Amino acid sequence: MMLRTLRVAGLATLLFGWTSLAFAQTDCKTLVPASPWGPNDQTGATNRVTPAVTKAAAAEIQDGKVVPLSYPLTDGVPLFGTRFSKTILTATTLAPGAALGENQLTYMEDTWLSQSHVGTHLDGLGHIGRKDCYFNQTAMGKYINQNNMTRLGLEHLKSFATRGVLIDAVKVYQQAGKLKSNPNCKKPCLEKGTVLTRADLEAGLKMYNVTLREGDIVIVHTGWGDLFEQFPAKNAEYNSGEPGIGKEAATWLVSQKIVAVGTDTWAVEVIPGENPKEAFIVHNILITDNGIHIIENVRTDLMAAEANSTNRATFFFNMTVPRAVGLTGNFVGIDGIR
Amino acid sequence: MAARVSRPARLLEGRPRVLHAVAVVVVASFVAFVLPAASQARRYTIAFANLTEEPGLPVEGTGFTGADVRQSFVLAARGQPIDLVLYDNQKDPAKALANAADAIQKKVDLYIQYFPDTAVNKDVSEMLRRAGIPAMAVNYPMPGSPLYGVNNGAAGRIAGEALAQFATQRWAGQPMVAIVLGNLTDQANGLPERSQGVRESLTHLLPAVRIVALDTRGNPAQISPLLGRAAASSPNTRLLIAALDDTTALAAKATLDAVSRTADGVIVGLGCDRSVHGGASEKKEIDPNNRGSILIGSVAFYLDRYGYEVLPLALRMLHGESIPPRTPTRHTLITMTNVWREYPPYDMQ
Repeated sequence: MMLRTLRVAGLATLLFGWTSLAFAQTDCKTLVPASPWGPNDQTGATNRVTPAVTKAAAAEIQDGKVVPLSYPLTDGVPLFGTRFSKTILTATTLAPGAALGENQLTYMEDTWLSQSHVGTHLDGLGHIGRKDCYFNQTAMGKYINQNNMTRLGLEHLKSFATRGVLIDAVKVYQQAGKLKSNPNCKKPCLEKGTVLTRADLEAGLKMYNVTLREGDIVIVHTGWGDLFEQFPAKNAEYNSGEPGIGKEAATWLVSQKIVAVGTDTWAVEVIPGENPKEAFIVHNILITDNGIHIIENVRTDLMAAEANSTNRATFFFNMTVPRAVGLTGNFVGIDGIR
Repeated sequence: MAARVSRPARLLEGRPRVLHAVAVVVVASFVAFVLPAASQARRYTIAFANLTEEPGLPVEGTGFTGADVRQSFVLAARGQPIDLVLYDNQKDPAKALANAADAIQKKVDLYIQYFPDTAVNKDVSEMLRRAGIPAMAVNYPMPGSPLYGVNNGAAGRIAGEALAQFATQRWAGQPMVAIVLGNLTDQANGLPERSQGVRESLTHLLPAVRIVALDTRGNPAQISPLLGRAAASSPNTRLLIAALDDTTALAAKATLDAVSRTADGVIVGLGCDRSVHGGASEKKEIDPNNRGSILIGSVAFYLDRYGYEVLPLALRMLHGESIPPRTPTRHTLITMTNVWREYPPYDMQ
């Protein structure tokens, strides 16, 4: 009994020591601002999606037209680095004689081996931090285990049932006479490295006479998604960089109290970044500092065409995020309903 | 700001208070909105005449190319009030003169010259002076213009210090030989200064260690036989290798692997181009996850960051500020511990 106690104590000491070494605790109050929704907040910007916000957004549904905002998630789509997404079909009852019962029932199901940040996906609050500090000054080293996070997981998010606002950056650049399209794009697109500024975003809003409201989700059409659609042929080009919002634009979006920003790119922010010594700084500004979500690889061309043909750039944003406990993000399906 | 507002207000002393207030509001509005707007609206046309844009041609005795330098200017100009005019000097004196003439015709606000020929730079300087166009020079001086550029001696000293530090910490008291390996006589790219910097540090910090110079004369195929022979002639001896560029550093590592002397060697390169560091998935030699490499680091020359260093200096000149006559590159040793801080990868999103 004594020996067993000692063993347990030793193991606990080892584990504690390992954790302490691996995740040196930082004073997160010096690195990350506090959440405006209180010290226990794990929800972030979806706090803004109140019943009143959802009700107001429902007014965007005028003719019931549904516009897809997701890309297919299948073999060959651009994935970054070592990321993967693979499915295995179980169809054993289709074998001769394997059907069940007199009614000859058969069934199939899938095993999905996938990383969560693939395809059209949502970056949750636990995705990006500074050192070991995450949204709302969370010292994340204390809240992770081998399988997931015990704070800031997707299960804490509220609804994304709010108004979507499309900003057509391609059209902004076309009208300003400064569009330099990437030659690999079949349709007009902004070139990688193009920094979208606050002025660009405001011009895009003005184009459709939209003023952002608290609780909106902003979707920016850069045209870069055209390369995603050509998968796998243009995957390398797609991943080599991208147009996107810069720091000034991100800071301005924060001031507009939005819930999320999505684009037809793999990181939302401009790559290469404005400062070569900063890594994904817009992710820090939006997610870590302000709890505002990023949605990547959003299919924007259809909504851009819809806005262009109807002169209306707003829609009901319909996206369900699984209550996947402790996850940092997940692939999502999105529709814009008009 | 407050002084600007109050002074015109004082001039209106004795007038009715309403006028007084109106004047304050008008001046305040001017200061608050018109002046910043005017300064924001001012854009500058800056010409950059690159040394060469020949694909794959390395510059400054590193693995960087002219395209890397040009791209750094393009990226750094984003978000700045700068319209870039890009020229390729093609390493050709006639082309360099023609580019300067074209820029003068275009009435650019400032000219940045990257060209090694002293006589040509003197002529270009004179042409620009007559046209009233300020200029900066990159890596090679131009009379009367501030110079930004590489400091080969300092870079060499950093490499020598890194080798000496490693030897002192890991191999103290063991037999050692230091090897300076590369195109030692490449005067045009300052490699003798680079080599001398390495020697200075090693001599200062490891005075007892013999230093051997192996000159590849710019032929990478010579690296293996030269280093292989040197290693064979120094059995049971630790080898401290300063490779004057990254290609040489990687070849030196391969050579030590081939002659089974990996455990005896430590290598520091110079340049730190993308052949030795890369993204999160590229698994290059200098990588936080490659802790066992004998290529312990490379001294950064940052040719892929020139634009970020030079354009702010150019803007300061255009704003009427004085800048130092010479601004050297801030060379840094890049190792597995700081590579992703200095060069954040963006292939892991």
